[in-house]
Amino acid sequence: MTNKVLLEPAAGAGTEVTPVRGRIVKSKWAHNLLTFLAVLGPGLIVMVADNDAGAVSTYSQAGAQYGTHLLWIVLLLLPVTYFIQEMVVRLGIATGKGHAAMIYQRFGRWWGLFSLADLELVNFLTLVTEFAAIALALNKLGIDPRLGVPLVAVGLMIMAITGSYRRWERTVVFLCVLDLAWLAIAFRLHPGMGELAKGALLPSMPAGGLTPDLMFLVIAIVGTTVAPWQLFFQQSCIADKRLRFADVKWARLDTFVGACITITVAACMMIAGNASHLRGFTFTDPAQMAVDLGSFAGGAIRAGVLLLMINAAVLGATAISLSSAWAYGEVRGWPHSLQLPIRKAPGFYAVYALCVAAAAGIVLIPGAPLQLIILGVQVLAGVMLPSAIIFLQLLLNDKELLGQYANKPWNNIVNWTIIIVLFALSLILAAQVAAPGLFPAG
Amino acid sequence: MRKELEATKKNHFVVIHPLDDLPEQKVDTDSLGPMAMTRSVRFSLLSLRGYLIVICLLVVYHVVGLATGLAHHTH
Repeated sequence: MTNKVLLEPAAGAGTEVTPVRGRIVKSKWAHNLLTFLAVLGPGLIVMVADNDAGAVSTYSQAGAQYGTHLLWIVLLLLPVTYFIQEMVVRLGIATGKGHAAMIYQRFGRWWGLFSLADLELVNFLTLVTEFAAIALALNKLGIDPRLGVPLVAVGLMIMAITGSYRRWERTVVFLCVLDLAWLAIAFRLHPGMGELAKGALLPSMPAGGLTPDLMFLVIAIVGTTVAPWQLFFQQSCIADKRLRFADVKWARLDTFVGACITITVAACMMIAGNASHLRGFTFTDPAQMAVDLGSFAGGAIRAGVLLLMINAAVLGATAISLSSAWAYGEVRGWPHSLQLPIRKAPGFYAVYALCVAAAAGIVLIPGAPLQLIILGVQVLAGVMLPSAIIFLQLLLNDKELLGQYANKPWNNIVNWTIIIVLFALSLILAAQVAAPGLFPAG
Repeated sequence: MRKELEATKKNHFVVIHPLDDLPEQKVDTDSLGPMAMTRSVRFSLLSLRGYLIVICLLVVYHVVGLATGLAHHTH
């Protein structure tokens, strides 16, 4: 394969000439592969970043409490998360705008501001939990969080402020690849393959039946796999990367690959939780689980899980902060692109930096009400998810807006089924948090 | 130069990164205005708005209660 860079004037005579840089390849196969690699990013990042610190905690707790019994639910969430994000792909490519901007333009000021306020609040609270997890993991690694947390916050800011979308994307894709180390950890813990296959393919109820605890853990698993910020993040990311109509199929593949990775990694986290449970340890948090695993599987596993916990939190933090900054910029009409230097998009970068700095600062306050914040994240995400996906579904049926990219009837059947199930789960969660006496403890 | 490039392109494939390509014409969302909705959709969104207001008030009430409890517990 001979590659060379092509530079040609692309605009017509009399207009400003914009150079188009391309790479010439000889085979169709190489063309497809390189085009996919060029498009790869938003789908992979949104999916892998979804396995953030909260997800590490939820999945490992599920494994520790119910073994491999809930693996089939995680597998079932693969098409759910893919179908929802695939809609975002079409919407982002067709409009070239973010989700917050679309809600504001098509549904009016009230819904635009409500969605933005809810997104900003729930994102900020989630960000605090990411930094709380970083502090917890650093502590177990013997690093003082008062030193480590600010360093991570500075690193997160440097990642985004380079004025190059590509530089940010490459760094984050590298962190996504690191997440695959969960596979090595799961393999090292020698899970029973038969048990895994049974848990993933044969839906079964754990011993004890459907208790409120089990129900809320299932809701937490669904909530952590399909989160509102993902809709906003991926659409803005697609708009910032300027994906073209011709990229739709590659962006779908990008999203599907990301969904497969995130579900596989989630299963590995469950395997880790199960392994610690089988050795008689009681789950308290993922950092303690890493220490427990290290006591019988070795120091490398202990350090590996703690580092992966930090990696998950960093991925979640950059994606969530960016979704906040993009959404705020879109609604306010500010310049909002990672391609712009700080002087040209000061508001956008200020929102990003403020989110990161404030969340990191709160975690370092002694006695900060972290439990209350975690509760807030769950309930606000639960409140926001149904409205966010209903707007998504309405936008995707808007033929005036999307034309041939609008939903087909089969899309609608699948998506409305998903929306009804998610709505029901969100209602149960919101009801439980708003009125805790509603469901007796198991 | 252009003829050479055209000839090269006929026998080869060109890969262009989205950020290196010319900006594409997208749907003009500004000229569309608010979405046209049927009466049932409008009613459903109104119900959703009512639900969200009620649930947000319940959450605020619950969080204030929890925060007060937490403050008493700390003291």
